Amino acid sequence: MFSETIVIQAIVNGIVIGSLYLLMAIGFTVVFGLMRIVNFSHAEFYMLGAFICFVGIAYFRLPFILVVLATFLIALAFGSLVELSILKRMRGDELSGMIATIGIGMILQSVALIIFGPDPLAVPSIAKGIIRIGGAVLPKARIYAGVFSIGVLVTMYFFFHHTRHGRALRAVVQDREAAQIQGINVSVYYPIGFGLGVGLASLAGALMAPIFSVYPTVGFGPMVKSFIVVIVGGLGSIPGAAIAAMILGISESLSGTFLKSSYAEMFLFLFVIGLLVLRPQGLLGEKS
Amino acid sequence: MNFKKTIVALSLLGLGSLAYAADETLDVGVIATISGAGAGWGQAIQHGVELAAKEVNEAGGLEVDGKKYKINVITYDDKYQAGEAVTAVNRLVHQDKVKFIIGPVGSAAAVAIKPVTEKNEVIMSTMAFSEKILNENSPFTFRANVTTVEFAQPQIDWIVKKYGIKKIGSFFPNDETGLQVSKDVEKAYGNAGVELVGKEFYERDRVDFVPMLTRLMGLDVDAIELNINAPSSAGLIVKQARDLGFEGLFIRTGGPSTQEIVNVAGEDASEGILVHTLIDPDLATTQAYMQKHKENYTQAMNGFSPSFYDTARMIFEAIKQANTVDDTKAVVAKLENIKDFDGAAGKISWTGQDTYGINHQISTPFYVAEVVDGQEVIRARCTVETGCQDG
Repeated sequence: MFSETIVIQAIVNGIVIGSLYLLMAIGFTVVFGLMRIVNFSHAEFYMLGAFICFVGIAYFRLPFILVVLATFLIALAFGSLVELSILKRMRGDELSGMIATIGIGMILQSVALIIFGPDPLAVPSIAKGIIRIGGAVLPKARIYAGVFSIGVLVTMYFFFHHTRHGRALRAVVQDREAAQIQGINVSVYYPIGFGLGVGLASLAGALMAPIFSVYPTVGFGPMVKSFIVVIVGGLGSIPGAAIAAMILGISESLSGTFLKSSYAEMFLFLFVIGLLVLRPQGLLGEKS
Repeated sequence: MNFKKTIVALSLLGLGSLAYAADETLDVGVIATISGAGAGWGQAIQHGVELAAKEVNEAGGLEVDGKKYKINVITYDDKYQAGEAVTAVNRLVHQDKVKFIIGPVGSAAAVAIKPVTEKNEVIMSTMAFSEKILNENSPFTFRANVTTVEFAQPQIDWIVKKYGIKKIGSFFPNDETGLQVSKDVEKAYGNAGVELVGKEFYERDRVDFVPMLTRLMGLDVDAIELNINAPSSAGLIVKQARDLGFEGLFIRTGGPSTQEIVNVAGEDASEGILVHTLIDPDLATTQAYMQKHKENYTQAMNGFSPSFYDTARMIFEAIKQANTVDDTKAVVAKLENIKDFDGAAGKISWTGQDTYGINHQISTPFYVAEVVDGQEVIRARCTVETGCQDG
């Protein structure tokens, strides 16, 4: 196999993985921008999405697209309910809010452990076979997951930029007080924003489930990566997160392909630390 | 009336003797990976010991020095982490005061807790594959299963000859177990005239193997060796390699985990994998154990499970013969002398003097099986002494 085909293969794989990190990171950014809390239950909402996908495909044999849509809607509704029933009382009290999200995460993980047990479970592949681009060989399942997540990201872009509610939500995320002055009912956007944020995490979980396996702690790795994306991109900046997610996904895939695994991880974190030393506010973040 | 009184009196006597049947409790510790990547192996230890204890308890307890002991199994999850295992061993030794520990799964965990068990003269029977586990300075440490040191060469010799493999690639976890196994596997393939062209080390929590598989497949390997990778990781490697279009052979010269690999990778992707197994489904004692496991647990039985059922029973037998639950030196002396024990996995003895300087390594039969329709079908029968023969 020629090295240039391996490079293409690694880059495409990096874009797929990066787009999934981005889904997580945007959800994380929305929640942080809106409520000023680091949502520590983000990993468990990813896990929730993965398990909904598992149940939908492995038990009910539903079509993948339907399962992904249902996952997003269930997580959106559940997230909104969590905000209204628990986090609403902690609005403005960021520390309590963060501790509450740790608790929510632990409860979700324990429930998953009780219902499904600790063993990894497999979701059947959404597509079998490969796609060849030049000499590069790409698994169809990954390509589809990447296309789905890019589709969701484009939809999110239109929602945030071209719909009334999307613009209002973005305004609340950017500057709550200014949004309020413009007549936006901020309190309505708290449950919607939290629901949307965790809905995106669940969506990423559902898209990843057929590629990897599903188990109660499956969300931890992607959550760490989405933290990195958010910090490198600039806390609260969605375009920054998009650039950071692609850099992370592609560099992770390239370094994983051409370097030994332990070196790849080391270089990745060296890059992150170096960037934060030179630009503490992240790629597109604003100095506070 | 008198007859009724007699019946009541006899019943009371019976109840009394039943109460006397197990008047003491013997705590046995289990340190195993109950959650995470190695959970299948951890459950093998836990279930094996629990079933052995249940058998003793149902028979009225373990008779030692005129007393009947009910076996109580205390299990702690080490999450495949050495730090968690150290916490667990400290709790077992200093708080629960146990003298017998079965487990842990991982070499890093076993190496980390061995100083505590040896210092406190606690018998440990582990699954850990590291060569560092057994030596003449560790008189209280035993190993309950054969390792790559014992089975890699005979299995690899047979597979290489049978399938004509020339170039092979392999994944190894980046820890004590992985380093040990990489040495054994590379040496064994080298001896069989096969070049290990790709050696990939990865962190155990890794789930995306595509970048490494891409590199490995670029080396045109005939087969990928799954060795000691945790069951879920091995399943993901198979699944992702087949997704990438890899058509070569998969070989598992490592711990049994066929069911878990099939669960994660699916039956189609798993078809034709050659695996090391400790289970001969045709053996009556193994069949009986499998039935017992099925009656007691909903999870599929891991291939290591009979070995830990057997090792627990051997320890109980040694305690009985030594007639003490406290003097572990006396128990070790009796345990070392057990020969041709009728285990669920076949006849069991101790070996290891030549390799480790101490006869604390279990010697059991093992097999090479091919995965067909998600099930193991035995293709070769092996022993450490005679190697593998078509079976």
